[in-house]
Amino acid sequence: MNTDKPSRLVALALVPFALFALALMVYLTAELPVRIHLPWIPSLGIEASLHIDGWALQFILLITGIGGFVLVYAAGYLAGDPKRKRVFVLLLAFMAAMLGSVSADNLIVLFVFWELTGLTSFLLVGTKHEDATARASARQALVVTGGGGLVMLAGLILLGQVAGTYSISELIASGPNWINHELVPLALVCIFIGAFSKSAQFPFHFWLPNAMSAPTPVSAYLHSATMVKLGIYLLGRLHPAFDELLLWQVSLITVGVVTSVLAMLLTLSERDLKRILAWSTVAALGTLVMLIGQPGDGAVMATSAFLLAHALYKAPLFFVAGNVDYAAGTRNIDHLSRLVRVMPLSAVAALLAAISMAGMPLSFGFVAKDLIEIAKHDGQIFAWASYASMFVSAMSVAVAAVAAIRVFWQHNGNASTEGVHEGSPLLWLPPLMVAGLGIVLGLVPHLIGPLIGAAAESMRPALQYEELRILLNGHVLVSLVTASVIGLAFFIAWDQLHKLLERGRELERFSPSAWYDLLMRAIPAAANWLTPRLQHGSLVGYAAMLLGAVVVAVVPALVIWNRQWPAFDPPSLAVVGVSLLLVVAAIAACRVRDSFVLLLTSGLVGFGSALLFLFLGAPDLALTQFAVEVAFVVVIAAILLRVRRLDLEPAPVHNTKARTVVAVAVGTVIAALVLAATAGLFDPVLTQYFAERAVPDAHGRNVVNVVLVDFRAVDTLGEIAVVGASFIATIPLLLLVRARLAKSRRKNP
Amino acid sequence: MTQRAVILDVAVRILYPLMLAAAFWLLLRGHNEPGGGFIGGMVAVAATAMLAVARGADFAQSRMPLGPLRLAYASLLLSFASGLPALGHNLPYMTHLWGSIPLGFTEFKVSTVMLFDLGVFGTVWAALGGLCAQVVAIDEEAEP
Repeated sequence: MNTDKPSRLVALALVPFALFALALMVYLTAELPVRIHLPWIPSLGIEASLHIDGWALQFILLITGIGGFVLVYAAGYLAGDPKRKRVFVLLLAFMAAMLGSVSADNLIVLFVFWELTGLTSFLLVGTKHEDATARASARQALVVTGGGGLVMLAGLILLGQVAGTYSISELIASGPNWINHELVPLALVCIFIGAFSKSAQFPFHFWLPNAMSAPTPVSAYLHSATMVKLGIYLLGRLHPAFDELLLWQVSLITVGVVTSVLAMLLTLSERDLKRILAWSTVAALGTLVMLIGQPGDGAVMATSAFLLAHALYKAPLFFVAGNVDYAAGTRNIDHLSRLVRVMPLSAVAALLAAISMAGMPLSFGFVAKDLIEIAKHDGQIFAWASYASMFVSAMSVAVAAVAAIRVFWQHNGNASTEGVHEGSPLLWLPPLMVAGLGIVLGLVPHLIGPLIGAAAESMRPALQYEELRILLNGHVLVSLVTASVIGLAFFIAWDQLHKLLERGRELERFSPSAWYDLLMRAIPAAANWLTPRLQHGSLVGYAAMLLGAVVVAVVPALVIWNRQWPAFDPPSLAVVGVSLLLVVAAIAACRVRDSFVLLLTSGLVGFGSALLFLFLGAPDLALTQFAVEVAFVVVIAAILLRVRRLDLEPAPVHNTKARTVVAVAVGTVIAALVLAATAGLFDPVLTQYFAERAVPDAHGRNVVNVVLVDFRAVDTLGEIAVVGASFIATIPLLLLVRARLAKSRRKNP
Repeated sequence: MTQRAVILDVAVRILYPLMLAAAFWLLLRGHNEPGGGFIGGMVAVAATAMLAVARGADFAQSRMPLGPLRLAYASLLLSFASGLPALGHNLPYMTHLWGSIPLGFTEFKVSTVMLFDLGVFGTVWAALGGLCAQVVAIDEEAEP
């Protein structure tokens, strides 16, 4: 597949490792939370401030620490791959977006970075963009998480409006003031949808296993250790404000439990090692969501510990799955057998990670499991949730056994290990080190305890962390033994259970994944139906549609709501004269059939309007109107002359009567609308403001110009950018037409 | 060359510089009297359109400083850049700065507003004038 020469890109791993060291230094020296003030859009109350507390710091350490190992691994995995630079750039961009998301103190800033992670994930999943499956998976990941993100934006704005601030720290501090507002549940549901879609919770779980089309380093990093945990991050971040809310507890526990059980069931339906790991990741995310939903001190400790434990065992397992794929050319567990003989180092890494995943004593996975048991004991958990979590623990044991024992130790008849060998150190060192860390931290949990405590304290300010207590009571041991026994049973019966689940394939028609496919087919179908009806290409039709819409929309509004008309104010003789000119020209424009005469009469209407502006005291407008009209008439005349010479003259207008009716109707309605509008109360605040401030603030007496170039200069900049862009876009078209004409003239002189 | 109206050809030699001068005058006085970059730009567009009809589209475009495309880019850039100096004074983008150059008997006021308006003028002139000229050019190609 690839050459074995590792890429020089490995040096880039120094970036995250340096950031990791920096974050660790900040943690050891500074008082948490660290706050950095950066105003961004002060007029909208949006600040790009950073707020780094224990919870954010835990994520920063995960993002940079795991990120460093991922980059090292990617340098080995992608050695010789022509796309390696693209992947590295995107991985670093993703890392920056993740760091931004977790350290932002502002809801909107958090959202922007959140969507940036989704965008980089889309590009990374679609790395093999020549492959239709990879494209579909990338699109699915983007549609599900991006769509969820948009719903979340609505929720965040709602929350910001209700609470009166977009700063997360202020929002949490003022929580009791707004928590009972009637819109809070709606905002919360919107935020849930965003967090659940990002963290692959039911019913948005299906995108994550499909995202496994990404290269393995990407799967290990984005779709296991970091990005999919952003939803967890947000829920943890908002936890202090909402943890007493029943809606919060019930939603999170229900969705988390349903997701983890469903994901573990679906694990059995897979044969691809990466997809098996992906489903178990979904299950772990479900467990995290459930833990956040639980009230009590124990739950937040368990959340933080399990988050770390999961990253420390799942990333190495993905690395190892990538090594197996890299060396053996397949990830199908049916074709893998006794790889320990040829890949001993990967096998050791897999075993260490599996021990932690199964929650065996002396691993960090055990510490997390222990804390989860304590949390379950503390909180009043639903009985069914307790059984469900037992099932999930047992399945974790089974999945760990499949990923390590089955692939590396078990003999499988129809697979050979010929030609398979261990890759470069860049491939086996990262999983070995990360998995090893998962064991070391299990031996000396008090080293990492304060960090977990800091994260838990920021999720639950009432908590006072003292030390990481590990209980080895009978309850924990019983649950451990039960999970191991059931898990081993699942492991032994894996293939039978797989066959059993295969019979349930029919049910897939009702799965959310099928709904998604249906939606993806319905959108182009609906567009196919709608587009020819709206975009038929007839200019006359477009005009009739637009003008008709104006009449239909304005008439009822006028009839229902308008109560007064302005008093009659006798106009000056000049205005009367110009108005007469306008009316005559307009009637003529309706009646003439020749297009050139039509241009002249409509030009007359334009010039007449300019005169009217002049008499009504708007010389700026009049000047502009004159200049625009001149350019318009010249250009259209040039086109008409050209058309005429080519004998392409459009058929003379025949239904002038119908057009007159439409024109008169629209004219009347607009006139009535303007009259009604001027009869209403006029709010002079802006006019007065600009008139008063123009000279002192902007040194100009021409208020129109002052507004254009000073008060609203950024708007004007946008407008001239549009003018310039439309010019640049039109030039190639016109040049093309010109070149064709020149060619045809040379042919027929 | 194709046949052209002689009167227009002669008239435009005088009218074109006059119209450009008028356009520029509108631009300069715009801050206090009716006028401004957009209106001035439109008058310049009308001048270019007239020149294109009288003396050919390519000639009209060659009379624009830098040519239409580059003039459009440069003007947009100028408008954009006119808001940047404010950042140096710790003010929001597009806060215009004013200064005056004493001339002894009076003083001449200068500001980033002028640069901004000049950019508006140039963009409008280049984009719409260039467009007019290109359309007229198509007409020329079709002439027998």
